[in-house]
Amino acid sequence: MSQRVWGRVALILVVLVASVAAYVASGVRRVKQDVTGATTPSLRDDLRNGIKLGLDLKGGIHLVLQVQTADAYKVEADDASSRLNEENKAQNLGLGAVNRTGPDSFTVSVNENTDLDKLADLVKRNLSGWQYTRQGTEWVFSLAVPARKSIADEAVQQAVETIRNRIDQFGVSEPVIAREGNDRIVVQLPGVDDPKRVKDIIKSTAFLELKLVLAGPSSDRATLLQSYGGQLPPDSEVVEGNEVDQDTSSAKVYYLLQKTAAVTGRDMKNARPSTDQYNRPAVSFSLKAEGADKFGRFTSANIDKRLAIVLDNKVQSAPRINDKISDSGIITGSFTPDRANDLALTLRSGALPAGLVYLEERTVGPSLGLDSIHKGLLAALLGALLVFLTMVVYYRRSGFNAVLALILNAIILLGVLAQFGATLTLPGIAGFILTIGMAVDSNVLIFERIREELREGKTPKTAIENGFSKAFATIVDTHVTTVVSALFLFQFGTGPVKGFAVTLIVGLAASMFTAVYVSKTIFMLEYGFRERIEHVSI
Amino acid sequence: MELFKDTNIDFLGVKWICIAGSCILILIGVVSIMAHGGLRLGIDFSGGTQIVLKFNSHPEPGKIEKILKPLNIGLEGVQRYDEPSKDEVLIRVKQQAREGRDITQEVFNALSRALNPGAAAGRIDVNVQGRDTLAAALQNADPDNVAGQPGEASAAHYRAVGEAIVAHRSELGLYRSPAEFAGIAGASRAVQAWLGQNTVIGPFTLFSSANVGPQVGHDLRTKAMWAIVLSTLAMLAYIAFRFDFKFGVGAIVAIMHDTVITIGILSMLNREFTLVVVAALLTLVGYSMNDTVVVYDRIRENMRRSRRDPLSKLINDSINQTLSRTVISSGLTFLVVLALFLLGGEVLNTFALTLVIGIIVGTYSSIYVAAPIVVIWNEWQDKRRLAAAPARAAGKGASGSKKSGKR
Repeated sequence: MSQRVWGRVALILVVLVASVAAYVASGVRRVKQDVTGATTPSLRDDLRNGIKLGLDLKGGIHLVLQVQTADAYKVEADDASSRLNEENKAQNLGLGAVNRTGPDSFTVSVNENTDLDKLADLVKRNLSGWQYTRQGTEWVFSLAVPARKSIADEAVQQAVETIRNRIDQFGVSEPVIAREGNDRIVVQLPGVDDPKRVKDIIKSTAFLELKLVLAGPSSDRATLLQSYGGQLPPDSEVVEGNEVDQDTSSAKVYYLLQKTAAVTGRDMKNARPSTDQYNRPAVSFSLKAEGADKFGRFTSANIDKRLAIVLDNKVQSAPRINDKISDSGIITGSFTPDRANDLALTLRSGALPAGLVYLEERTVGPSLGLDSIHKGLLAALLGALLVFLTMVVYYRRSGFNAVLALILNAIILLGVLAQFGATLTLPGIAGFILTIGMAVDSNVLIFERIREELREGKTPKTAIENGFSKAFATIVDTHVTTVVSALFLFQFGTGPVKGFAVTLIVGLAASMFTAVYVSKTIFMLEYGFRERIEHVSI
Repeated sequence: MELFKDTNIDFLGVKWICIAGSCILILIGVVSIMAHGGLRLGIDFSGGTQIVLKFNSHPEPGKIEKILKPLNIGLEGVQRYDEPSKDEVLIRVKQQAREGRDITQEVFNALSRALNPGAAAGRIDVNVQGRDTLAAALQNADPDNVAGQPGEASAAHYRAVGEAIVAHRSELGLYRSPAEFAGIAGASRAVQAWLGQNTVIGPFTLFSSANVGPQVGHDLRTKAMWAIVLSTLAMLAYIAFRFDFKFGVGAIVAIMHDTVITIGILSMLNREFTLVVVAALLTLVGYSMNDTVVVYDRIRENMRRSRRDPLSKLINDSINQTLSRTVISSGLTFLVVLALFLLGGEVLNTFALTLVIGIIVGTYSSIYVAAPIVVIWNEWQDKRRLAAAPARAAGKGASGSKKSGKR
């Protein structure tokens, strides 16, 4: 008997020590990682930081971005159609006009002079991922499904990497930058309280394209298209400018641009802030070898025309092409020095392969977080105190067992959450409350059973024994039912619902252990060594 | 101490009254929801923007509304938030037709321009700017003269100072006068003087803001729904496997009963339906299920012990036997939730309220709804079996009696 009891006590102590150790170790680890933290963390800091608090408790920024994968298709289509054009010239295929018909499609007109076999062969070798159908004198090209998928995939992956690079320059501790679903990225920055700056850095940089200006600038679309008979010419688009038109001082200016970009942010090698010839802030950039080739050919063919620098689908400036430019250039526009700095930083950290749109944005100010924690803690402590008091008043000595078991339950839960780096959020606290409710319930079930047995006239020893064994099936049932449903919530739920499920699953596992195993051990310690038990304090 | 000793209350005797009462409650809830034009969805589900600001003096929602109206952002309303003494205001803006507009920033800028002329002169607003901006400005000005040392030390030094400035602001709620700069732990006299000269103290600070686009709102809605439906089905399956199908039905009816009534009461109180409420509903589903399973377990145990008693007596005895436990457990959890409701602050308030309602309804339903459903179902089955018995005896033989022999 006594050996069995001590075995149980040893196991409980091991679990207790392991939980505390896991919590403290996690606290030490997290305080050390925190770049902004104090230089010599105290034990108090370690204990405070054992569990990662969610943004709703700590304050910070939560963003959900969508990668505009269509942008990436567009780049691919630009690339493919310009390659086709070049090959046409180089190999004299006799192709007609190459027309962009959509973001991810284009048509090529063929005629009797066209070498169709050569064209088919060229497509096979050079335009992998593209499929085409012949429709009379036109070949209609579209992106094949597997290619679309891999392009989108790559774009999202690259966007995640790029955002990570940028966030790293901020020195945020424990940022979360993760892909979600097909084209979404979740960014969580605890403790950051400057949403505007963060959003600018992550996004505004986004998508740089250099395009040929066909007409403009002018203050409205109609005048822009006048020389084209009011019709939008093929392979062109109207893009809004960022500057105010000096002549008409109208609020907006428009440019007519060639749809196909000469080079994009993808071709960028490096960028740094500099100044233009009037000593205004600007950004100088250099291109990778392949991009430089393309840009060289493009500029030499278009000398004296204007080149639009399009950032996030807005024309920043449209300087004249004076000479062939190949591997470097300068972006001018009405930049403040700060803006030029940020633009260079973001271009440098890797250009985004596609535009980003904010789908969701949550900021919790540090004051609110602090307030939530203080009040939540106060309420939880008071609630726990009330529970403890009631248990002791109602079940006397046995009530203390339950209180011990509950405290141990909370410690195990915190230890496990800390060990797995789980985040405690508001719904997590809900899970915590349900756990405490169910853990106390298990004890109540057992105690009520023991009382029933005593009323039926059983000896105290048998009553305790029977109380535990009879309540056990019920406890298993209640716990399994809840865990089963929590598993589904974990699998299918999003953010907060998931956090709830995690706390609940861990808490229930701990509760099975503490309510049944631990409180029985305490009973054994109390009554197990005596030959005869006259009375159970319950 | 014992409150319930050998009780023998006829719970099932009033089953029809209770079911009628429940139906009326459900009906009232449904009517309330319809009268409100559907559930009042929070921005998690409906999309839109919600901003909570804390002011340094009594804010006037009407005045704020007037400032924001010309922005044409689809302003839904400006109202007081939390206790009036806290000077907090909640601004709600409708979901935008197009993704990508930064409503929070537009609101912020407009209020800043109208209420805080000092900020327009290019001075930093200590109540609005984050630690990074403060740190950068301080590093530029370098009031502590640390620039002579290597660059990294200077950046780290001012970052810590920036953090201290924001931390002190969090403790205060917001800065009200330059005298409060003296309380910033970790800021030297020079920094405090610099703050006094080069910053303005704006009239408000950002407590929280959330902006949910239409796509995310839709996704959150469907995902939350699927999570609830699937987890409920999983519980039904487990209970059907562990007990009997009719027990499963009783449990699910009880859960739906609790959820619908709770949502109905929330609607009557004009509370918003948010993700946090969903978490609270999940909590109470788990809780109510727990209660129900305890009663079921006892019924099963009693069924094994005395098979001869009619089911309704067995069930009534089982409810009586577990009554003490039901009341104590629910009462304890109720205490915790009540503390959370009264003291937990505005953020946890609706969450706690949902649980306060839910625990009362859930406890009631596991006594008066879940078990009676099993009895009613059973009586109905018996009747059908009796009616079908002659036909069956002629046809298939004894398949009916075989089934009733199970458990």
